[in-house]
Amino acid sequence: MSSTSTHAEVTAADTAGRWPVLLLLASGLGWLVISGIFALIASIQLHSPTFMSACEWFTHGRVSALAETTFVYGWSANAGLGIALWVLGRLGGSTLRAQNWAVIGTLFWNLGITIGLGGIATGDATSFALLELPRYVQPLLVVAYIAIGISGILAWSGRRTEGTYASQWYAVAALFLFPWLLIAAQTMLLWSPVRGVLQPIIDGWYVQSVVSLWLAPLALAGAYYAVPKITGRALPSYEFAPLAFWTLLFVGMMTGGRHLIGGPVPAWIPTLANAACWMVLFHFTVVALNLRGALTGGGTSLTFISFGLLAYLAGAVLDAVTSFRGVALVTQFTYFTTAQQQLALYGAISMLLFGSIYFALPRLIGRPWISGSFVRSHRVLSMVGIFLLVGSLAVAGLIQGTELINAKSTFGEMAERTRPWLLAVSVAQVLLLIGNILVLVNFLRSVCGLWCSGVVSEVGSFRQPTTMEVHAS
Amino acid sequence: MSTPLHQDPRLDQAASTDESLLAAHDKLLGKQPDEKGRYKLPPLHLLFFFSGLIFFAGTYLNRYSGMFDARVYNENTLPPSGETVVAKLDPLVLGKKQYEAICITCHQANGLGLPGAFPPLAASEWVTGSDDRLIRLVVYGMTGPMTVKGVLYNAAPMPTIGKVANSQYNLSDDKVAAVLTYIRHEWGNTGAPITTDQVAAVRSKEGDRKPYVEAELLKLN
Repeated sequence: MSSTSTHAEVTAADTAGRWPVLLLLASGLGWLVISGIFALIASIQLHSPTFMSACEWFTHGRVSALAETTFVYGWSANAGLGIALWVLGRLGGSTLRAQNWAVIGTLFWNLGITIGLGGIATGDATSFALLELPRYVQPLLVVAYIAIGISGILAWSGRRTEGTYASQWYAVAALFLFPWLLIAAQTMLLWSPVRGVLQPIIDGWYVQSVVSLWLAPLALAGAYYAVPKITGRALPSYEFAPLAFWTLLFVGMMTGGRHLIGGPVPAWIPTLANAACWMVLFHFTVVALNLRGALTGGGTSLTFISFGLLAYLAGAVLDAVTSFRGVALVTQFTYFTTAQQQLALYGAISMLLFGSIYFALPRLIGRPWISGSFVRSHRVLSMVGIFLLVGSLAVAGLIQGTELINAKSTFGEMAERTRPWLLAVSVAQVLLLIGNILVLVNFLRSVCGLWCSGVVSEVGSFRQPTTMEVHAS
Repeated sequence: MSTPLHQDPRLDQAASTDESLLAAHDKLLGKQPDEKGRYKLPPLHLLFFFSGLIFFAGTYLNRYSGMFDARVYNENTLPPSGETVVAKLDPLVLGKKQYEAICITCHQANGLGLPGAFPPLAASEWVTGSDDRLIRLVVYGMTGPMTVKGVLYNAAPMPTIGKVANSQYNLSDDKVAAVLTYIRHEWGNTGAPITTDQVAAVRSKEGDRKPYVEAELLKLN
């Protein structure tokens, strides 16, 4: 490789390895729009219970399971894997290998999701949070995921440099950990179910691990790559990044029991999780120190990453505070926990992924995004939408929680008082849905530019990156 | 090395190359060949923060874990100690329960039995009279005719209730004692309570035997 091509921002290695990544990102954004429609239906049913209730497929239990499943396994998984493969390929320094595996894996992953969603709609959903996909598609998902992951693992093991970077740790950890999580959870809950109270314990562990050990690492892999690339400065306090990584892996996994506070489990399980919720703050502190450059940088990508970073930190503090039993007395099992989940999945993980996608796509197709106004609209709509969504759910949750422990208040009063906030949630879902349609259209139009006649390559619009220097710290 | 101020929303420019990004961060971790074994002391505030979290988490775990016992569901309690605590039961409560499960069929809730078929317990001389008779009558049962309050009953035998051979109910001594205490206390009856020891003493004295007939019981005081 000549020295000019080594330093060019978009190389032949990028364009040769783009199809698996583009397929993953496109599927992710497609599922995101579908999930937004399901989420909108589910949120309308919370304040207008008769909405679509005549249609068996769209009764609230099913449609909220559809929304959650599409969001996590459709959008977050596809987009996260796309970003992970892209980052691993770039940092590996050569064209992505085993691309056929990744493409076939993606097709089968999405086939599995589609069959699974049909299963949920027709009544085959399991009773476990985040594991609603019927068990007949779950082995397929494991195999498809491994097929996609092979490409990333090869890019990592065949890297040109001996040393590794934080993005690679997080991406590889997510590639290895998710099959373990899914196999363990489906074996113990669906194929050979454990007895009684052990089931919610396993499911609590799985629900938390999906976020802490799978989606958050995928999102962080992209953010850890994009931030120093754009700011051009080495990450501050990077010496502690390994410690932050291992804290997330070992302590983050133990926070699962917080979903069981107030539940019928031995006291030590939530207690251990609560202690872990505080311990894991170390991970969040270091991530904040490392990525703080994003907050001062401009541009689309860093704006999304800053928002995602702040949401990631706010979510951690909220998790830690609500893990106290006195606080959980009000917040647990209300809309407030939904708010926390949306803050993690939407505010943190999705926004970090958006930031990485906005950075990655021009490098994959060799030209900028096609529409700047769509980018700006998406940015505004998602930020306003997430504020409204999480804020309204949190307020509704606090109202619900205080009414639930008040023996004199009736269910009707509670529904009456939470109704305005639930209406706001529906408005937020509409905003988010519009924003997500915009980004999908913008993405597809940008990619279609690759085939359209008369479009000249705009590689020239990429500025030549320079060498990063390490400042004495 | 200034922050790129290129604000086209459609494209974020990269300021540094991948190779230099890897090299720069590798250097920060001290992985360069010339810098092996170089350790940096973490800044004090991070060290204090991390230590504080560990201290807090450890204390919390120690305080609210219930010693990791699977039987502890309230985080403020400790696991139960080895001794078993036996709750004291009111014999009248236990006795009423037994009466309503077994005796009530014949002797009725009002203790009056059914005239001509089952003798009454209310104001019955058999109930309020001799302890020995009453215990034997209930533990072993009774066959043949029987006179209660001057009326002859011969419709059905009294079943064997106690924990003896061929018993229909196998009630333990404390349950027999409780039901006897109960029927001596209800319907205006007055009589001393029957203790578990009394029932046990009768059972060990008589061993396994067939139900009594009236004459045998009347011989006792």
